[in-house]
Amino acid sequence: MKTKHSLVVALLLALITSVSMANDGKYIEAMKKSITQLYEADQIAEYQESVNAFNRIASAEKNKWEAYYYSAYANIMMATLEPYAEKKDAYLDQAMLAIEEAKSLAPNESEVIALEGFAMMMRISVDPGSRGAMYAPQAQQSFNKAVALNENNPRALALKAQMEFGTAQFFGSSTKDACATNAMAIEKFGTYTSENILAPQWGTTMTEGLAEKCK
Amino acid sequence: MKVLFALQISLFSYSIATGQTTIQGHIKDSDSQPIPGVNIMLLDTYDGTTTDASGKFEFRTAESGMKTLVIKFVGYRELTKQVNLEDKKIIIDASLEEEINQLEAVTITAGSFTAGEASRRTVLRPLDIVTTAGATADIAGVLNTLPGTQKVGEQGRLFVRGGEGNETRTFIDGMVVMEAYGAAAPNTPSRGRFLPFMFKGTSFSTGGYSAEYGQALSSALVLESKDEEAVTRTDVGLLSVGADVAHTRAWDGGSAAGKIQYTNIRPYYKLLDQQIDWKTPPASIEGVAAFRQQVGKTGMVKLYGNFNEADFSLYNHDIDDDKIKSLYDLTNRYRYLNGSYKDALNDNWIIRSGVSYTAIRNDIKVDDMIIGETERGLHAKTVFEGSLSNQLELKAGGEFIVREYDQIFSGNSHAAADHHFNEYIGAAFAETDIFISNDFVTRTGLRLEYNNLTSTIRLDPRISMAYKTGDAGQISLAYGHFRQSPKNEWLKLNTALEAEQAQHYILNYQRIENNKTFRIETYYKRYRDLVKFGNDAGTMLTNNGSGYARGIELFWRDNETIPALDYWISYSFLDTERDYLHFPQQAIPNFASTHNFSIVGKYFINTLNSQVGVTYSFASRRPYHDPNQEKFNSGRTPSYHDISLNLSYLPKPYIVIHFSCTNLAGFDNVFGYEFSTQRNDQGEYNGRPIRHPAKRFLFLGVFITLSRDRSMNMLPSL
Repeated sequence: MKTKHSLVVALLLALITSVSMANDGKYIEAMKKSITQLYEADQIAEYQESVNAFNRIASAEKNKWEAYYYSAYANIMMATLEPYAEKKDAYLDQAMLAIEEAKSLAPNESEVIALEGFAMMMRISVDPGSRGAMYAPQAQQSFNKAVALNENNPRALALKAQMEFGTAQFFGSSTKDACATNAMAIEKFGTYTSENILAPQWGTTMTEGLAEKCK
Repeated sequence: MKVLFALQISLFSYSIATGQTTIQGHIKDSDSQPIPGVNIMLLDTYDGTTTDASGKFEFRTAESGMKTLVIKFVGYRELTKQVNLEDKKIIIDASLEEEINQLEAVTITAGSFTAGEASRRTVLRPLDIVTTAGATADIAGVLNTLPGTQKVGEQGRLFVRGGEGNETRTFIDGMVVMEAYGAAAPNTPSRGRFLPFMFKGTSFSTGGYSAEYGQALSSALVLESKDEEAVTRTDVGLLSVGADVAHTRAWDGGSAAGKIQYTNIRPYYKLLDQQIDWKTPPASIEGVAAFRQQVGKTGMVKLYGNFNEADFSLYNHDIDDDKIKSLYDLTNRYRYLNGSYKDALNDNWIIRSGVSYTAIRNDIKVDDMIIGETERGLHAKTVFEGSLSNQLELKAGGEFIVREYDQIFSGNSHAAADHHFNEYIGAAFAETDIFISNDFVTRTGLRLEYNNLTSTIRLDPRISMAYKTGDAGQISLAYGHFRQSPKNEWLKLNTALEAEQAQHYILNYQRIENNKTFRIETYYKRYRDLVKFGNDAGTMLTNNGSGYARGIELFWRDNETIPALDYWISYSFLDTERDYLHFPQQAIPNFASTHNFSIVGKYFINTLNSQVGVTYSFASRRPYHDPNQEKFNSGRTPSYHDISLNLSYLPKPYIVIHFSCTNLAGFDNVFGYEFSTQRNDQGEYNGRPIRHPAKRFLFLGVFITLSRDRSMNMLPSL
């Protein structure tokens, strides 16, 4: 009787955990599929599909920062491809909304803070003359905070390097520090892996571009 | 074993798909145009898809039962539909309604120039205020290069479309500012008291403005102060005319900033010859403090304070005999406090509330006559703003404005009467914006005002509309009724004077495309009830004056065609006459010039880390009254020309060196003439031209910013 009882319990436990793991498994599977699609996208229409997919997941799950993160990232990518200034700002508005959600779910997540800095950097590009003064210091602060939260985050370092390089070029000062940060970013891309299987992986192209300029 | 088998079966059957439903359809907008990129989602699931280029979509779901399908896309109102997932195929054809988006929708531009970071449709940028040559970082200075303004160099204020300087009113965060300009010697230009660095948005209206703003006959300058600063920093400025130090402290959700500025023109005047005989050149000390704090999730409290003490004295030399001189001594004490609160009441409504207090004291000595002048103002206002529907916005509020004025004469020589009045104005206003679509908006407003001095209640309507003619252009028109109580100078003599009135009719076309702006505007203003002298001495005043102003203005801005060059050209044509004050008949007023032209250029020299700005301004001849001529106001000054230059150099990211020079070419500009009150030996009245104290004004400043991040600098705050 005892063995039968424990077998039933074991089976029930297996059923329960398999159901919950199936739920999480479902989430992870959906995210992985969408992330793969995201990294393959290179047109605005394709990124829009990614935004929509992540928005669906985010709205169904309600407490997963990664879903909001990738939605924001896809919107930022659309802003980089969009030539029309008003639309650029519209995509960045959407990105910032998603980033706010991600921040409230994971306030100390280095990736989210780095992404916020990225969005601010893109804001500047829409109208550098007017926006530079307001957003540049805020973006710089975000990158510094992201590095402080996780000094091994290659994306935080890569974005920080981009910002430093641009500022140094603008003032005609030395780009040495920026290039050093970029080199460190490249190193971390090679060595850093996150425990989170859904963690972002993008950013190597950015460092390659800057490395060329640093030669 | 049976139980085990049963459990296995149930586990097995659990994982079999229960059947698929296909959902497909077509999404269009209200013009039957397909919308690609729309998100179709099954609520609480991951299932869904995106519409393709022809607006079509199709996806399969394994879910069952009654579910909600959500259709959403930026710029459109979200649509939800209930679907029963027991059917094999569901077809959804839907049409999405446009969302009226504040930033994308057409805005009423008739009679208004806005500079703000938020909107991309603006003509001016906040940085323009500080980088325009000739303005020397004075807000009025840069606005004077826009169409609709007349150059009145000897006063330095804003004279808009045939209106006097006091017809332009300044508002900060919705609250009125009395005496927005610093004290100045007669015939020397005054500067605005408020530094451009405080503001994130500037809206300069040359007519037809919102029912929210009253007591301004010609123009409303609406300034919106910055929200909290994000970074802690210290700024030090070393100027050729003084020094200032400011400290900003930022924390999560708020910031506090304070600045102290000391200005003393004396060393500068010792170096450069002045045409004014200063006894004590102007010196002033000014303190500014700003506090911001977020309250809850959506609220913000702002406090702003400004105090200023200025002092100067000069000798006025008699026109007939230079050796006879009289002393003019002015001490001005200014205090301004402004508190405002803004919060979202719910998703649709916000409340804005504020109080401002101004206290001004002028102690003037003219020889041995002493005049003490005190003005105190209080303004309290509350406004509710929100949407009644997707297409209807409403703004409604009430305000209370108090003006207390005292003028006391003492000392011997003149036994002049003291003056005193207290003016209380209560007003209520309501305005609706009706968006027929994102391309067509109509704004209707009504303003009700009660004034205790005249014991009258008046109703002023305002209506305007704007229509987008294409992707880049729009037409806008405005009509409004405006009133303003007479200046202190007149109201103190007759407190029963009615408010002066003006009616504006404005039509405008504007096109913004690829960083180029073109704008043409025409207007007609009818003035009534202007203050008029009942006798020659000006001691008896009536409201029998009247006048008109009409004109055409053109504006062109381009910061695209030539890289690193940003320039704008503005031209105003003004035809105006009035019969007011001492005028014996209708005539062109002294401050009006028929043609006003400005070309402003800014060029960024990357290799030198510098920005150079050049401004050329022209105003045609202004009228003045020559007592030697029979006809009133028949004299004409020479035309006004000015070429100004400024240079900002950034040797390091946190240091800015700024140099500016007005009237580089040294044009001899005459703004009018003063005449003696007695005839000379030839039987004529001697005259003296009114000029700037010096041909050129040179300014040099070094601004250093200390913050943790060494890439911050003062360039935007100059």
